[in-house]
Amino acid sequence: MRYAHFGLICIMALMIFVQPAYSQEQTGKEKYEARLTSLADRFFAAQKAGTTIKGVIVEGNSLFNGTTEPQKKPYGKPYSDAERKTALRSAERNSKVFLLARDGTLYSPTVKKGQAESESLGAYRFDRVITEEQKKKKTLPWATLVPLVGREIEVLGEVYPGYSGVKGLFIEALGFEGDYVPGK
Amino acid sequence: MATKKPITLKSIFYTAVSLVWIFGLSAIGHIVMVLIEKYNPAIKYDFAWACAITGILALYSTRFMKSDGWQSFIGCMAGLCVWFAWEYSLMYGGHDLGVTYTWNGSYPEYRMMKWTYMMLLMVFLYLLFQESVRCNFIFYLRKKLRLMRGAVATGKVDNYGPRTFFEYIMVTWTFYVLLMIGYDEVLFGAYSWFTYMVFFVSFSIFFYLTYKLLGYDRFGANLRYAIPTVTILWNDVEILAKWQMLKEPWVHINWPIMSVIIGGFAVSTYLIVKDLRGRSQGMIETKDIH
Repeated sequence: MRYAHFGLICIMALMIFVQPAYSQEQTGKEKYEARLTSLADRFFAAQKAGTTIKGVIVEGNSLFNGTTEPQKKPYGKPYSDAERKTALRSAERNSKVFLLARDGTLYSPTVKKGQAESESLGAYRFDRVITEEQKKKKTLPWATLVPLVGREIEVLGEVYPGYSGVKGLFIEALGFEGDYVPGK
Repeated sequence: MATKKPITLKSIFYTAVSLVWIFGLSAIGHIVMVLIEKYNPAIKYDFAWACAITGILALYSTRFMKSDGWQSFIGCMAGLCVWFAWEYSLMYGGHDLGVTYTWNGSYPEYRMMKWTYMMLLMVFLYLLFQESVRCNFIFYLRKKLRLMRGAVATGKVDNYGPRTFFEYIMVTWTFYVLLMIGYDEVLFGAYSWFTYMVFFVSFSIFFYLTYKLLGYDRFGANLRYAIPTVTILWNDVEILAKWQMLKEPWVHINWPIMSVIIGGFAVSTYLIVKDLRGRSQGMIETKDIH
């Protein structure tokens, strides 16, 4: 059975590969937790100062072709149930989503100024700031935009002038009430 | 096909250890991915390559092993390593193509995996029509569908490593595709009759397979049959998490629960290795049915 040792050598090889990951994990974990704490501190400070951006996530295709009119609906309830279902489905097929503020300003989520090459923000995991109450429920500290369509979120980030009235919004962290995926 | 034997205390022990080991393997696989994603996502694709290479080397190493127990043990781990690499490759593909999460929370890599169903079907058809394949489920289907033209192939299988490797991948792949089809809100949905059916059927089949597993009192066959048994139970774990009735300890990094799982995995690994070494040194004897 001495050849079985060859298999164990393979496992050891894997562990050697992972070793740098593990040793980095200590610093990675510290960095990660420090980043989340710093984001939470800045988020709540901005919230206190009134510089966070609040709005509801709306789906772009049906907004721009005028099929849905979330801007004309009462703030916080941009869609009927049927409309929201369709908007969610479109969003998960990667149609662009926007943030519609209470004052009617439309923000287009974008990457940080200066970054030319980017990825779809519909697929991006944003850091989520969670309250003490949410921590008790073991809420995930990240969220993507698709399940948030039709819901209100609060953003810590930078606003850019954008184009033709639609402003650019770099989302550094976001916060919202309830579960990321609300369930049934 | 492995020969089934009467249920004994020994077979209960082997079954329990195999189930704990395969369950631990799946859970640890999940937590490794979650930890990397959370604390050091930069290394994930290097890790995927390391897994692929390690898996292939481990698979190759089974060629030199004489006992089916070692072949199955290493073959299973090789399967997990290559499965890791496959999930990461889909993750990379999803990222590159901008595949979003679904509104009910499914990850991009699993969304992409769903669309491999036709490929899965092609592989399955090959297995179904290939008369030398001895998988119990496929053999049953082949008999019922009258595809079997003669007796099933018998004789010694020289290396169970690649079979276990392939079995691990096929079983995991099949159930992921099945769950993703169930979660698709256009087809069925997370709260549809289909998902409920998968949940209850998986639960029932788990007990049936565990009962069947009790007939195998050595780690070779027992480990191989534990793969579908645990994976079918895993369907229920995944569905309960989808229904938000279970906070998966490997996703939410619940260390007290994970410590129990890791401890169980370590103890079961020790027992399996000890048993296999004992067998290879001729210290444990298994009587065959006459």
